[in-house]
Amino acid sequence: MQSRLVDFIALLRSHDVRISPAETLDAMEVAATLGYAGRERLRDGLAMTLAKTPAEEAVFEHCFDRFFDRQLADFGSTRREQAQAEPATETIGRELEPAAEGHDAPLLDAARDDAALRELLANPLLQQLQDNDQNALNLALDRAAEQVGLGQMQMFTQKGLFTHRMLEAMGEASLRNVIIALEQQHSPALAPLQRYRDILREQVRDYVEREYLLHAEGHNARFMDDILSHTRLNNLEQRYLQRVQALVHKMARKLAERHARKQRRHRRGRLDMGRTLRAGIASDGVLFQTHWRRLRKHRPQLLAVCDVSGSVAAYAKFLLLFLYSLQDVLPRVRSFAFSSQLGEVSELFDQYPVEKAIELVNWRYGGATDYGNSLQDFARLALDDINSSTTVIILGDARNNHGDPRLDILRSIYQRSRRVIWLNPESRRAWGSGDSEMLRYHSACHFAAECNNLAQLERVVDQLLRLTR
Amino acid sequence: MHTRDFPQLASIEVIQQGFETCGYICSSKIATAVYLAFALRKPILVEGPPGVGKTELAKTTAELLQLPLIRLQCYEGLDEAKALYEWKYGKQLLYTQVLKEQLGDLLQGARGLAESVERLHRFGDIFYSEQFLEPRPLLKAMQQERGAILLIDEVDKSDYEFESLLLEILSDYQVSIPEIGTIKASVSPMVFLTSNNTRDISDALKRRCLHLYIPFPSVELEERIVRSRVPDIDNQLRHQLVAFVHSLRELDLKKTPAISETIDWARSLLLLHARDLDEAMVQNTLNVLLKFEEDIAAANAGLRKLLRSPGSA
Repeated sequence: MQSRLVDFIALLRSHDVRISPAETLDAMEVAATLGYAGRERLRDGLAMTLAKTPAEEAVFEHCFDRFFDRQLADFGSTRREQAQAEPATETIGRELEPAAEGHDAPLLDAARDDAALRELLANPLLQQLQDNDQNALNLALDRAAEQVGLGQMQMFTQKGLFTHRMLEAMGEASLRNVIIALEQQHSPALAPLQRYRDILREQVRDYVEREYLLHAEGHNARFMDDILSHTRLNNLEQRYLQRVQALVHKMARKLAERHARKQRRHRRGRLDMGRTLRAGIASDGVLFQTHWRRLRKHRPQLLAVCDVSGSVAAYAKFLLLFLYSLQDVLPRVRSFAFSSQLGEVSELFDQYPVEKAIELVNWRYGGATDYGNSLQDFARLALDDINSSTTVIILGDARNNHGDPRLDILRSIYQRSRRVIWLNPESRRAWGSGDSEMLRYHSACHFAAECNNLAQLERVVDQLLRLTR
Repeated sequence: MHTRDFPQLASIEVIQQGFETCGYICSSKIATAVYLAFALRKPILVEGPPGVGKTELAKTTAELLQLPLIRLQCYEGLDEAKALYEWKYGKQLLYTQVLKEQLGDLLQGARGLAESVERLHRFGDIFYSEQFLEPRPLLKAMQQERGAILLIDEVDKSDYEFESLLLEILSDYQVSIPEIGTIKASVSPMVFLTSNNTRDISDALKRRCLHLYIPFPSVELEERIVRSRVPDIDNQLRHQLVAFVHSLRELDLKKTPAISETIDWARSLLLLHARDLDEAMVQNTLNVLLKFEEDIAAANAGLRKLLRSPGSA
């Protein structure tokens, strides 16, 4: 049963529940303490050690039911075998057991004058089926799985294929051939034989399904996340937006958590005994003046400016999404959006849920780009607030329709702020081509980077948060 | 602490019954958590919306086991000196002043600085001994001879640094004091941590705890809770009010009424000699259940519908 528990934990891990080896040990201790008899109780107990958030608990419940349903069915069969040895105990009828002898009678009759059938009955596979020898059957399933490489199954579309291969590997063909022959003869042996084949198929299907659940399903979800984070943002389809949103939020939270340590407030701090005593020497050891250990307050401020004009429309949604999530998890973030004019959108982000906020921003500020004008607006709104603890992030392609770039404003921002970071969705090669002012703007940035997928965004933001500390 | 020292903890059913006699009606999940916490000597991290009885669980356990309850309320800026221990600076200073004279006698006849220092060394760090140590809740819980229930309330309000401080205490039930050494609990206390989820608790801390999430109770459970807390209330009314609170929880409210609010409301209705939930009565007492003006307005708007639905059910 312990190995079953390990299997179960592997299943949970594949579903994105993080479980450490220490927790595995805890879970085993819990199982040993509670025993395996009370299923509800075991579930509650295991949930306490394995699931650490309500979301994980939901995943846990889902997996527990699916996994142990299957397991209990298996135990059922062994128990039934024991029950058979003691006929007094009533058995709970699964399809196979009752009157197995009676079912097999026509089979044996027919075998007397059918060489093919006789041969088949001697086949170990059919004997296992006849005896309902679960252990031997499981062993055969394991062997077949190894032979066809079931562990490599990754997509649910492969389930049918692998089921078929498994059946072949187990020697279902001989069974099938005999059944086809018997069908033509309308033999009474057909029905029991067909039943055995159905049982075999069911077993294989279950086995493949379980294997898929164990290895592939969680892998699939991770695979999707992986693909999503490396796809160019403008190519992502609308229907993945939800997932991306969750991903972005997860990322923003991860980043914020990693960098949140400076947000703490130190009011008075601890008594600095050394300094206090030293100050007391002058007054014969009487501590008139106390000194306190104090850490300097760090209040990094983030100003984010996002281009929402037509040329970056496809990216803008995701950049805004990210901005929204960032504002959600970090304090002191002010967000601005512009195309020809610029305005502050922090309040919109605070008030509305994400889709609504993004829609409103696009509607209010979308249009043709004018960086010069927008920088002017930005300076008017925020230049006074920019100081040595401010980081300014600009998200945009720097395509200014050949207008005045107003580099002087960006320069003054550059001089006042701690950091100016420019994230450009265009690839570096395109910078400076056509009406792109990127190379010129680059001269007034501490840091400029290409950013058109989530992985790049994450890297950039990680760097950025390290710089803002 | 061993289960055998506490017959109250013999099995999950016994715990559940014990809690019930203390007036704490709980699901078997909660009892399982307490049972496991004892058997495995692990702290319980209790999460859930405010007012579902997280703190009450610790109090009831203390009552059931007849152990002292030591409570540490967390807040931002809580540090070692307030949670763990502090030196009694005043006493140290006073003693140095008082003993000044003694020092003269002690050093009398000593030749040279080296010998004086040598003599002083013989007395060790008297000013940094346990007599000068002011134990704060965490240390106090370690020092209880019979064991204790340690309640670390609202741990999510504390800083990350404090969480790290808890790690040593929660996994080994010991405290390291640089000047003295390690103080280990002779009987490990039973620890409850509560969290309202204002921020995420670090994985390291979560890993050391059993994780218990207490949701809002089911209708039957809540009725039993109200019956145990407000025994005088009429059956019919109790049924009605619990159903009403449950339908309130379905609404999109700023602060969903919890069990404590249900109990308060039941008490107020009892005081007002209410026989039946009628519209006027509910309107007048709604402020017991709902704590925001917007919520009250929202509930008032759908009051008739809310009142009808539990009645028909």
